[in-house]
Amino acid sequence: MDDNKKQEVLNISNLSKYYFSYGSLFNVRKNIIRAVDNISFKVYEGEIFSIIGETGCGKSTLSKLILGLTNKTSGEILYKGDILNYNLKKLNLRKKIQIVFQDPYYSLNPKKKIYKIISLPAIKNKMIKKKDALHYSIQMLKKVGLDENYVFKFPHELSGGQRQRISIARSLSVNPELLVLDEPVSALDVSVSAQILNLLLDLHEKDNLTYIFITHDLRLVRHLADKVCVMYGGKIMEISPVDRFFKGPAHPYSKVLLESILAYGPKNILQFADADGNINNINNINNINNINNINNINAGIQKNNRGCVYYNLCSRRQDKCMNNEPELKENEDYRINCFFPYNL
Amino acid sequence: MSLIVDDLTVKLYTNFKKKEFFNVADSVSFSVQNGEIIAIVGESGSGKSFLGLSLMRLNPPYISEISSGNIFVSSPENSEKINIAKLKENKLSDVRGRLISMIFQDPNVSLNPVIKIGDQIIEAILAHKKMKKKDAADIAMHYLELMRIDGKARFNSYPHELSGGMRQRVMIAMAMVLNPAVLVADEPTTALDVKTSLQVLALIEKMRVEKNVSVIFISHDLSIARNISDKTIVFYAGQIMEYGKTEDIINNPVHPYTISLIKSVPALSKDYVPREKLFVIPGSLSQNDFKSGKCRFYGRCFKKTEECLNNISLLKLNGERFVRCINIK
Repeated sequence: MDDNKKQEVLNISNLSKYYFSYGSLFNVRKNIIRAVDNISFKVYEGEIFSIIGETGCGKSTLSKLILGLTNKTSGEILYKGDILNYNLKKLNLRKKIQIVFQDPYYSLNPKKKIYKIISLPAIKNKMIKKKDALHYSIQMLKKVGLDENYVFKFPHELSGGQRQRISIARSLSVNPELLVLDEPVSALDVSVSAQILNLLLDLHEKDNLTYIFITHDLRLVRHLADKVCVMYGGKIMEISPVDRFFKGPAHPYSKVLLESILAYGPKNILQFADADGNINNINNINNINNINNINNINAGIQKNNRGCVYYNLCSRRQDKCMNNEPELKENEDYRINCFFPYNL
Repeated sequence: MSLIVDDLTVKLYTNFKKKEFFNVADSVSFSVQNGEIIAIVGESGSGKSFLGLSLMRLNPPYISEISSGNIFVSSPENSEKINIAKLKENKLSDVRGRLISMIFQDPNVSLNPVIKIGDQIIEAILAHKKMKKKDAADIAMHYLELMRIDGKARFNSYPHELSGGMRQRVMIAMAMVLNPAVLVADEPTTALDVKTSLQVLALIEKMRVEKNVSVIFISHDLSIARNISDKTIVFYAGQIMEYGKTEDIINNPVHPYTISLIKSVPALSKDYVPREKLFVIPGSLSQNDFKSGKCRFYGRCFKKTEECLNNISLLKLNGERFVRCINIK
């Protein structure tokens, strides 16, 4: 892999974020919710690193930690070799890391005109002067494929796709190096989401931006990403390059996720080999019924805090998985957190 | 046939006093067999949800009305056949829930937050059948178990205590509890994530197999429609654009709108390459498209010719395949 030659943008090691909840006023015992639990990975420059997982797996908490919107419990995040600390003015991290939110209807201020929304981050970071705001925002609008007619409009005058473009223009206004995309198209219609995906790929090619792409839609991962990181219950299950992942996922959970998309896609594109090397095509929902994701519909994350978090739902579990931390199988290409993975 | 929609036209008034209106569903005809799933696919604003509501006469009164056409619903059990479109207002509540019922898009707002879910299901049963509350509770429990919800533990739960997927499963239980002939599912999976939505789809499929219910599945996502349905209607601006078996429509689409829709979704078309530019349908669907006399897709079509400026009717291709386009080869 030529990854070693590329510069590391983000190096996360043993990162954890716990939330505590108390039963009642007199109940001293704390419940610990491990939103992000002992996570390590690296993101290289110019890479589209996608994080997938179902609702509540901790992917949004991870993005908040990267953006410094919440404090970590333990662990370390390095940004290009420096410890990630948004309070240090020297690093000027707010200029370098930006986010695009999921829902363009709630993430734009309804009382402000478009040019003010777009230029505010740049003014706050002292990149431009206030009098240049109009000119600067027209430039930014052109970058995302809108013309100058939009500068004096309000967000409610725009459609969902246009709003998401404004949202992207706002993030780009400070020339960031790393962009966190938190499900940028899941609130949009099919044909509009195609426009936004094309725009994101264009910007990636032109400016060599690094994306962290958070989603639960595997079709988008297939379309955009270089690397896939699968999360479950606050832990990383698998990190693989996209081609490898779609040919044959190693972790049992990845396989279940992939089967859910196989049911959506066409036969010739998304197929994978099972343990014996047979090519599987699952295109009919009836075939999925017998796989554990339907049978154990109410089982959840295992919380005994010793074994594998995926124990309750796993189809390949053995006694060993119950109480032992899963073995890490690692090389420079992939990382799998499982005792009994498929075809390694 | 459990549902026959015959030449259904629904008016939506933009100005009631001046009698200004447009047809939000324009001579729509289709039929659904027992135990068949038919998908209605289209962009947001194409009128597909309105059509779903009209099938139950739940379209908003005063601003909209069914101006012509028939909706025949028949139960396979006792050979009654009812025309919902011509039914009197006071007879409607007898039909809704018993013969035809509905699952809505967002389970978070369609359950009553202050009533326990068990009681909400019992209420649906007792509205139609005379029986003891205890017997109704047994039926409700049975249907919760069918939906793979732990009946004993969850019967007395309030909606906020359940997860999104579980709430949607309660909604399906409630819709299925009177064993209707037709189930209208209006985007039941859009508020859910991929894995939970797959579970919900699998349960709808299960109801089709076990209870032989016909499902009308409204969705904006062709890939979900492909997954679950036997037949697909591609709906645009109140008209059926293409109608046929789902496999045929996905594998060789004929109408330019269907072709564009398939190309704009990653990993759906046959010649898909990762990272390649997705096809974008230019422009957007507006209210004026509903009123226009020419082909309603004219402004956004890549195949348009001068002949498209005339009114275009639904052509029969072969067997059960219909297309509303004249530039097909």
